[in-house]
Amino acid sequence: MAGISLDNLSFKYPGAQDATLSKLNLNIANGEAHALLGASGAGKTTLLNILSGLLRPTGGVLRFDDLDVSNQQGRERNVAQVFQFPVLYESLTVAENLAFPLKTKKLQSKVITQRLDYICSELELDELRSVKPAKLSLFQKQLVAVGKALVRPDVSLVLLDEPLTAVEPRVKWRLRQTLRRVQADLKVTMIYVTHDQTEALTFADRVSVLTAGGILQTGTPEEVYASPEHEFVGHFVGSPGMNFLPANALGVADAERVGFRPEWATLTGNQPSSAQKRGHLHGSVLRIRVQGAKAGKPFGLVTMATSQGEIAIRGYIPDTSITAGDSLGVCVHRCIGYTNELKVSDIEFL
Amino acid sequence: MSSFKPQNNRAWIGVLPVLLVVAFSAVVPLMTVVNYSVQDILDFNTRFFVGFEWYQETLNDQRFIDAFIRQVGFSLTILVVELPLGIAVAKGIPKESRFTPIILILLALPLLIPWNVVGTIWQIFARPDIGLLGVGINALGISYNYTVEPLHAWLTLVAMDVWHWTSLIALLSFAGLTAIPKPFYQAAELDCANRWQVFRHVELPRLRGVLIIGVLLRLMDSFMIYTEPFVLTGGGPGNSTTMLSQHLATMAVGQFDLGPAAAFSVIYFLFILLFCWLFYTSVVRTDD
Repeated sequence: MAGISLDNLSFKYPGAQDATLSKLNLNIANGEAHALLGASGAGKTTLLNILSGLLRPTGGVLRFDDLDVSNQQGRERNVAQVFQFPVLYESLTVAENLAFPLKTKKLQSKVITQRLDYICSELELDELRSVKPAKLSLFQKQLVAVGKALVRPDVSLVLLDEPLTAVEPRVKWRLRQTLRRVQADLKVTMIYVTHDQTEALTFADRVSVLTAGGILQTGTPEEVYASPEHEFVGHFVGSPGMNFLPANALGVADAERVGFRPEWATLTGNQPSSAQKRGHLHGSVLRIRVQGAKAGKPFGLVTMATSQGEIAIRGYIPDTSITAGDSLGVCVHRCIGYTNELKVSDIEFL
Repeated sequence: MSSFKPQNNRAWIGVLPVLLVVAFSAVVPLMTVVNYSVQDILDFNTRFFVGFEWYQETLNDQRFIDAFIRQVGFSLTILVVELPLGIAVAKGIPKESRFTPIILILLALPLLIPWNVVGTIWQIFARPDIGLLGVGINALGISYNYTVEPLHAWLTLVAMDVWHWTSLIALLSFAGLTAIPKPFYQAAELDCANRWQVFRHVELPRLRGVLIIGVLLRLMDSFMIYTEPFVLTGGGPGNSTTMLSQHLATMAVGQFDLGPAAAFSVIYFLFILLFCWLFYTSVVRTDD
C-alpha cells in the first residue's frame, strides 16, 4: 500500500496538438479511496494508463510513497486494475484466477491459501471457487475481477476503471457496497475512475473533478458538493447541477456570476416579493416534479424561468394549486460568487 | 394461443426452391451412390441386389485399409504441423502497422492457387535434377529423390500442404488475436504473467472458436486430398502416397467397379462425418 503523488504530471499523445493532461498535481494518502470524476474526454483513461504503467508521462513525476515510478513497467509497480468489463482468465476457475497474481509473485502456498480464503469469504465467492468464468453472471465475474485485484497482500494501488458500467443496475449498489467495505477493511489505496457522480460521491473519501483543463477541485464529497471551487464542478456535480445567474440577479456585487444549489432556495408562495431584495428573485413556473410529501406538505423539484435564466429549486412546494405558468417568489439563502469561473466568495443571505 | 400464431401454409411455397436445390445438389446424387452400393449392375436391364456385400468387400480390402491408414496419418501430420505453425505466424504479424495489410495479402496468396497448380509447382520445385529445392537439398549432401523414396514423397507432400494451407490457420488466428480486447493484455501485465502464461491463459482460450473452425476445415479438406499427390507422383512411389480419394478414383473411373466404388464412397463420407463429429464433440465436451 502506498500514498500516490502526482507532481506536475503531463501527458501528450505523439503527434497530438494539445497535451491530454497538463501539469496535474494531486496527493492521495495511503489507504485512501479516491474518485476521479470527469466527463468523457477529460483524460481519465489516460491518467489511469499512466498510473498503471501502460503509458509513460511526458512530463512531471509520479511517485508511489517516495519512489519515482514514472518510468517503471506496470509489472514492477505492484498495481492491480479492475476494468469496465470483467477481465478474467477464461480457461481458469475462479480460485485459479484469484490465485494467479499470487503465484506469479512466487508466494508460499500457505500464504496463497490464506489470501484466497480471506478474499473468498469477504466477497462471498466460496461457492464459486471451482467454477469457470463462462458460467458466471456479469456481476459475479466483476466480483471475481475485484477479488483478483485485492488478493495481493502488498498491492500498492488498486485502480478501478468505471467498474460498474457493465453490471446491471439491480446489483450495482451491492458491488459498490462490497468494494467500499473491503476497501475500508483492507485500507488499500484505491483510485476509482467514473463519470457517474453518485458512484464517486458515495464511494470515495475524497473526489477529484477532472476536465480537459486539469483537476478543478479535490476534496471530500461534501466539500465538492457544498463548495464547488469552479463553475464546472457546481454544474457537473449534483442532479440537477448548480443554478447559475448573473451576480446582479441576487444583488451580489463582488462577483460576475452566482451559483446556488437547488436546495439553497425556497419558494415564497405566489406573491412575487415586491422590492428587489438581496437573495430574492421571482419568475414563472415551467415544470413541477413532486417527489414526495413530508408532514402533509408536497416536496419536489420546481423549474422556473426568471428574467435572467432558468433555475431549479428543490424543497417544499408552498401551495398545491401551483401549476406551470404561475408567478412565484424565490428566496435564496446561500450562494457562491464566481469570477472567471472560479470561486471568489461564499455569501449567506439573512 | 392459436389466435396469436396464424397458420399460413403459403410459406411452404417459399421454402420449396431451397428444398429443390438441396434435393438435386445433395440428396439425389447421394442416394444414387447408395443405390449403386447395394446392387450389382451388369447392364441396363440386369441388376442384382447384393445387400452389404460391397461394403464387406471394401472394408476387408487390404488396399483400402492401407490407403485409410495413410490418409489418417497424413491428416494428423499436417494438423500437427499447420496448427502451431499457423498460430506462431499469426503471433508474428504486427497488429497495427502500415505493413500489416501487405503481410496479410502475401499470406493469403497460397490460398488462391489452384490445387493442381500447387502440385505442378512442387513437382518441378522438388525435382532432384532441375528443381531448386531438390537440387538444393542434394547439394547439401542429403540424398533426396521423391520419385524413388516413399519417405521423401511423403515429406514433399506434407511440405506442399503446409505451404498451401498454413496461411489459412494463420489468417484465422490473426483475426482471433486482433479481436482480443487490450485490457486482457493489460491485466496480465499487471498480474506479472510471463509470455507463455499470456499465450496459454489469455490468447489460446480466445482463439478456441477460430481454431475449431480451422481444424474442421483442414481435417475435412485434407481427408479429401486428391490432386496434389496425383500430380506429384501419381500416388507413388508404389502406393506410398495413394490416399483414399485416389484409390476411389482408380476403382470407379479406372476399373469401372461402380458397386464397390459406391460402397467405398459411402464409407468414406461416413468417416469424414465421424471424424468431424468426434473432434467437435470432444472439444465441446471439454468445455464443461
